[in-house]
Parts: sequence; structure tokens; C-alpha cells
Amino acid sequence: MADAAPTVRIAALGCITPFGNAAATREALLRGETALRPVAVLGREGGEPVPMALMPDRALDETVPPAWLAPIRLLRDQVPGEGWGAPGRPVFVTGSNFGVGGLYALRRSGDPRFAVWGAPPTCTEQLRLELGWGPDVSILSHACVSAHLGLLEATRVVAAGLADEALVLSFDFLSPFVAGGFHALKILNASFPAPYRERGAGAIGLGDGAAFALVTRDRGDWRLEGQSLYNEMHHFTSNRADGSGFARCLAGVTRAAAGRRVWFKGHGTGTLEAGRMELAAATRAFPDAPIVGWKGHLGHTLGSCGLVELAIAAESIRGGRAPGTIAGPGSPMAAEVAFAPFATAGYDAVVCASNAFGGAHAALLLSHA
Amino acid sequence: MPDPLSVRLKQLIVETLRLEDIQPANIPDNEPLVGGGLSLDSIDALELVVRLEKEFGIKISSSEEARVALSSVSSLTAFVRERGDPSRLPA
Repeated sequence: MADAAPTVRIAALGCITPFGNAAATREALLRGETALRPVAVLGREGGEPVPMALMPDRALDETVPPAWLAPIRLLRDQVPGEGWGAPGRPVFVTGSNFGVGGLYALRRSGDPRFAVWGAPPTCTEQLRLELGWGPDVSILSHACVSAHLGLLEATRVVAAGLADEALVLSFDFLSPFVAGGFHALKILNASFPAPYRERGAGAIGLGDGAAFALVTRDRGDWRLEGQSLYNEMHHFTSNRADGSGFARCLAGVTRAAAGRRVWFKGHGTGTLEAGRMELAAATRAFPDAPIVGWKGHLGHTLGSCGLVELAIAAESIRGGRAPGTIAGPGSPMAAEVAFAPFATAGYDAVVCASNAFGGAHAALLLSHA
Repeated sequence: MPDPLSVRLKQLIVETLRLEDIQPANIPDNEPLVGGGLSLDSIDALELVVRLEKEFGIKISSSEEARVALSSVSSLTAFVRERGDPSRLPA
């Protein structure tokens, strides 16, 4: 549990999704577009079509070098400054899968060139060389709250004076290995995800995504406050049935949000049980907040989702209008879910939450400095 | 006389989940499979679903559908009988 993180600033935030950068992504979401398309779950080997949002012109199958390096380079071009990874300018790389698709491709093809991308240390070292970073690069991974973990570690390092500023990079790109794993859990199916909707069967979509944040002590347009991480340690795949883990995590940011008007960007994958629990906890903790979930547009970008969606939230504040929750109106689980875009001008801050396998929860409060 | 499909499903549960201390005939027909006396959890349920799909040619499309099918041996028997490839069901 970490709910007393010092306040730091964010000098730059950016992301890349199948729609483009944060501004292009927000515009697409405001128009109600979804990047999800039916894609054969095992790529060229076929299988059932399931909802996935892949980067333009990228096939699901792994390649050497990975096709997802192209969007990573586009993201790098958004990062201000140079000399990342040098002393005083650490980089925290986060994600949930790194290049694990390479291991699957290695097994299927026997091509040893896939191996170097297949594990977090070797994949990150390749990225470090590709992006021209120095040696001060750390890897953090905790399923779908990985990006939050990176932000918190960067915050601690900067606030403690161990670094002048820190770069958090988070990425997850899909592969047949990852898609097949989720498909085995029966939560990828032909029904497209509809976060916070009451319906017969849950469904999630998966998406490609990458994002960065430049964390500083006292410089930048954004103030990062009240970060919270909490792990129930309950079960591999499920949360406590009473939803207490969600509530416990959000309690870590309610103090920072006290007296402020906030909106809530939830995790909202489209699974029914977790959606209900998250919604109940959010409406209790922030009873006046409009609640949105964007994974019906973007798919679940897994370990990078916390940072990808944070960049879109910041862009929404900057642009004065936040996208609603895709899937249209009708029988929402709670009246507080915003299905239509809304003006952000009346709000002081946004609470961004993510949840992960194993009952891991994360939340933070972002405001304009 | 016991339903042959129900008997086969009980054998399959024991085999798939390696329940070494349990005799298939002792698995009750109407008790919950997950969270009941067998102490199966969601990972066990996943293994069982994969095995059922291969063995009987059925398709379980969502976790909610799996939960209904696996609520008891009786419900699983009815589900497999309705959805399974007839040529793979025990006579």
C-alpha cells in the first residue's frame, strides 16, 4: 500500500494508440470511434475472431525486429529532452508483456532471432539501445497496474532528490501468445466490450498502446497527487467478492481529493463482476463524479493502460472536454456513468484508476498545476 | 442406472484436475463444482473447460456461460448433452 506519495509535477505526457497521439486519440474517442476490430486470436494461425485494436498496418504476429518498434519511435519523438538513462535522469520501463510474443514465435518457428525480444531484461536492453538511453534504466512490471507502479517509483526517486527528473515509459503490444492466454479465460469473445454495462456476458477487447510521463519535482503543467497502490493478495484471477480491495485503494486518493470536484476515469474493461465492483467503489468514494471507461474504444492496453489513459485524461483537461464511455446509453449499472462527452471545466482534477490480476489496484489524482 | 455421460464427466474431472484422493463415483450430482466440496478454483475451472471443449467438441464462449455449465455435475451433463458433438458422447 502506498497512499502517501509526495506530490510531484509532470512536465510532459504522451501516448500512442491505433488512433495516433493523445490529441488524435481523444478526438477519435469524442467522435465515439472504436479502434477494436475482429482479429483471429492466433494471428496467421487463425482461431476465433476476437476484438483487438492493433497499430495501423501491424499484424498480430511477431516479427524480427518487432513491428511495434515503429510506434515506440513515434512516441520517443514526443519525449522532450535528451540524455535519458544518464546519471540523474533515470528511466523506468513498465509493461506487462514486453516482447513475450517473441518466445511464442521462437517456439513456433525455431528462429533464434526472436529470443532476444522475449524476456523483459533483454527486450528492455534492446529498447535502450534503440532509443539511445544510458544505463540507468529500471524495469517494473505488475500486470495491468504496471504503469502506476512506474509512476510511483519515479515520484519517490524525484521527491527524494535522487534524480532531477525521471522518465516513465510504458508499453504493451499484442501477440498471439497474449491474446491466446486471455482467450483461454473466456473473456475474449465476439461481443465487443461495453464497460459498466449490465448485460448477459462480459467481454473485453485488447489493444496496443504505449505512453510516457516526465516526472519532475516542481516543473510542468500537471500535478500528480495522492497515488495509491493496493494488492488484495486474494487469488490469481479474482478480487474479493465484497469489492473491498477497490474501496481500500480508492481511499488512498480520497484524502487528496477532499473538497475538490473530480471526474473519474475508471479501469472498465467490460468484465461484469469487476465492473460492478469498481463502479460501486467509485460511486461511494466520489459520489458526484462522472465516471468514464475508455477500453470500449481502445481495448485493454494491459500494463500500459494506466499511463495511456492518463495521457488522454490530461489531454481532455487541456482540451476542455472528456470522451464518454462507449457503447451508448441504456441500462447502465449506475446513473453516474458518463456515456456522452462532457466539459471538464467544472472539475478540479481527475482520478485515474486501474486494476489487475491478483487483486491489484491503483489510483492517482491528476490536476492542472 | 447412472447416466453414462455423467459418469464420464466425473472421470474426466478427476483425471483433468488430478484429484488423487477422490473417487469419481463420490462426486455428488448436485453440489457446486467450484467453491464446493471439491475445492476447485477458477484455474481448475479453466483447465476443465479446455478439456471439455476438446473431448466433446463443444464451444463455451464466455466466462458466464462456463460458470453456468460448471455449477454442478448435473448442469454440466445437461450442457454437454445439448451442445456436444453427438458422435463423441458415450452411448
